[in-house]
Amino acid sequence: MGLSADVTATFTADGADAFVVDATVEVERGESLVVLGPSGSGKTLLLETVAGFHDHEGVVSLDGEALNGLDPEDRGFGFVFQDYALFPHLTVTENAAYGTRYRDDHRDPDDLLAELGVADLCDRYPPTLSGGEKQRVALARALAVRPKVMLLDEPLAALDVPTRQALRDDLAAVLDDVTAVYVTHNRTTARAVADRIAVMRDGQIVQTGTPEAVFERPASPMVAAFTGSNVIAADALRGVVDVPADAMTAAVRPEHVALVDGTGDGGDLTGEVARSVREDAAHRITVDLDADDPRAELSTGAVADGGDARLSLFVADDPPAPGERVGVSVPPERVTLFAAAE
Amino acid sequence: MATGTETDVRTGRLGRAPIVVAFAAVQLAAFAAAYASGSPTLYAYFVVGSVAVAAYALDGSAFVVGAATLGSVLLVALGLPLALFVARQQPGLIVQKALNPDVHRVLYLGVYGPLLAALASLLFGVPLARLLADGFPGQQVIESLVDLPLVVPHSVAGIIILFGFGQGGAFPSVSVLGTMTGMVLAMSFVSAPYAVNAAREAFESIDDRLEYASRIHGASRFQTFRRVTAPLAVRGIVTGGVLAWARAVSEFGAVAVVAYTVEFFYLPAGESVRAQHAPVFVYNTYLTGGLEESGAVAFLLLAVSAVIFLIVRYLTSDTATTGGVV
Repeated sequence: MGLSADVTATFTADGADAFVVDATVEVERGESLVVLGPSGSGKTLLLETVAGFHDHEGVVSLDGEALNGLDPEDRGFGFVFQDYALFPHLTVTENAAYGTRYRDDHRDPDDLLAELGVADLCDRYPPTLSGGEKQRVALARALAVRPKVMLLDEPLAALDVPTRQALRDDLAAVLDDVTAVYVTHNRTTARAVADRIAVMRDGQIVQTGTPEAVFERPASPMVAAFTGSNVIAADALRGVVDVPADAMTAAVRPEHVALVDGTGDGGDLTGEVARSVREDAAHRITVDLDADDPRAELSTGAVADGGDARLSLFVADDPPAPGERVGVSVPPERVTLFAAAE
Repeated sequence: MATGTETDVRTGRLGRAPIVVAFAAVQLAAFAAAYASGSPTLYAYFVVGSVAVAAYALDGSAFVVGAATLGSVLLVALGLPLALFVARQQPGLIVQKALNPDVHRVLYLGVYGPLLAALASLLFGVPLARLLADGFPGQQVIESLVDLPLVVPHSVAGIIILFGFGQGGAFPSVSVLGTMTGMVLAMSFVSAPYAVNAAREAFESIDDRLEYASRIHGASRFQTFRRVTAPLAVRGIVTGGVLAWARAVSEFGAVAVVAYTVEFFYLPAGESVRAQHAPVFVYNTYLTGGLEESGAVAFLLLAVSAVIFLIVRYLTSDTATTGGVV
């Protein structure tokens, strides 16, 4: 048992088509579900609908008990907002203690502020705080009411990278034993925080599973691309993978692709390095696969233009320079094939 | 060395405050000289000319000089009458009026009546403003109705009120013609739009998510309004109240039609007395006593209004409500 939401909600705005969120999410007790999706996919609206801020059809229930019909204040949730939404006219302590007067079973806000390392800010007002400090206060405010479910809307999106990494670790620890729905467009955050991931697109959940399942076995090219896989024309891999006739698109994560010595022996693909970019710990190499590889029986023109036969991969050191000819190995068992290009 | 001085001004090395003080002093001296020599017209030309020169010295671009020169014509039209009005008062007559109990009553009513109207506008206008800020079906019709008094000539507003609530209208047991109720009603009619619109803008400027954050952590709608929405909108609400009050103080047409003289409880005397709303009294004095006498009363009304306005401005600029950060 845990949180279960099966909702349909329609949103209209002047000058825009109605946007429909039609989604089902299930979160086990103590589990963190990450809703991962691009901007405009309806993640925030889904979260706000679950919280009770928007009219909807369908059911939101907690441990089998229906919550729809209950006002937001009666649902027993905690919410961390993307832009923090701290009360600017209240001190840090007053913010953290905001909900405690309404819930008999609550935590001591001062203890929470201390735990989150912001006890020294007690008498400050939110507009004087840094982003990371605001986020910790927002977290304290939500945790103080001992929420049955924590809802988090992109809580790290507005932070700089070092602060985000520090807070992500703290957040993962805090959410360890809390039932949580966490909305983000950041796949790194998603993988770090999630027990399970639900990928959202155009108001609908398109795949739900463990981070492993979603990242390694994406259900569609969109999910593959959004979780960081290489998405290329299936024909380009005909040399290494047994490609069925109806397969149009293939996905493989860059960390499974490797550079190999030689230029084409032993079942490997060949290509030319298009780009080499230094990222944190590794170099991201982009390789244009050879369209005229004799083993690739090119049935479509898709590969010939280069764009759909481009693989990214990581090397730790000694990266090849752009223009260099390289061999590329793709482990067949790591390749996911899709029938339609979507 | 003229260019050197000019450069100093342009780079701001002189500082803003000294420039403003010096400019004001020059204006004051020029006005005094022109008034003393009996030709205030010269001062009007001086303002336009001196503004153009100052604009050239401070900025130098043709656009700014042109804009400042055109703007100064409007300032002359607004400011010169006021300056001459103040300068041409006879202090003896002002003191005489200031000691007149009749004038006391008028000034008392001129503050007190608008205060009641402003409070009524806020009491019923703020909830409406809150709903308008959220939006609802048919909102545009309600908005138009709220803004209607802004375009209705005020004597017409008075007539409308008499048709609505006077003899043969609604609430026959409540008489409005020549009563305090009628006066407050007439003032509210013309001043409520200011209160509603200012409060509404204040509510609209508050992020929805602050109210979400309040409610999801346990506060009801009322508690959210009391602890989050109202404190964050308080400055806008007070501004709306002040605007409504000021509008009611200056109301002539509607009040003259509905409640030319009214009976009200006069606290300093501890009894009910009759008096006219200040603008009506000023007009009445003008008709019966001439420009000089009405000017003295008008001066007193202006002084009282200005003092109250400044006090309210001072109180609401206090940073206590937001912890000094907003």
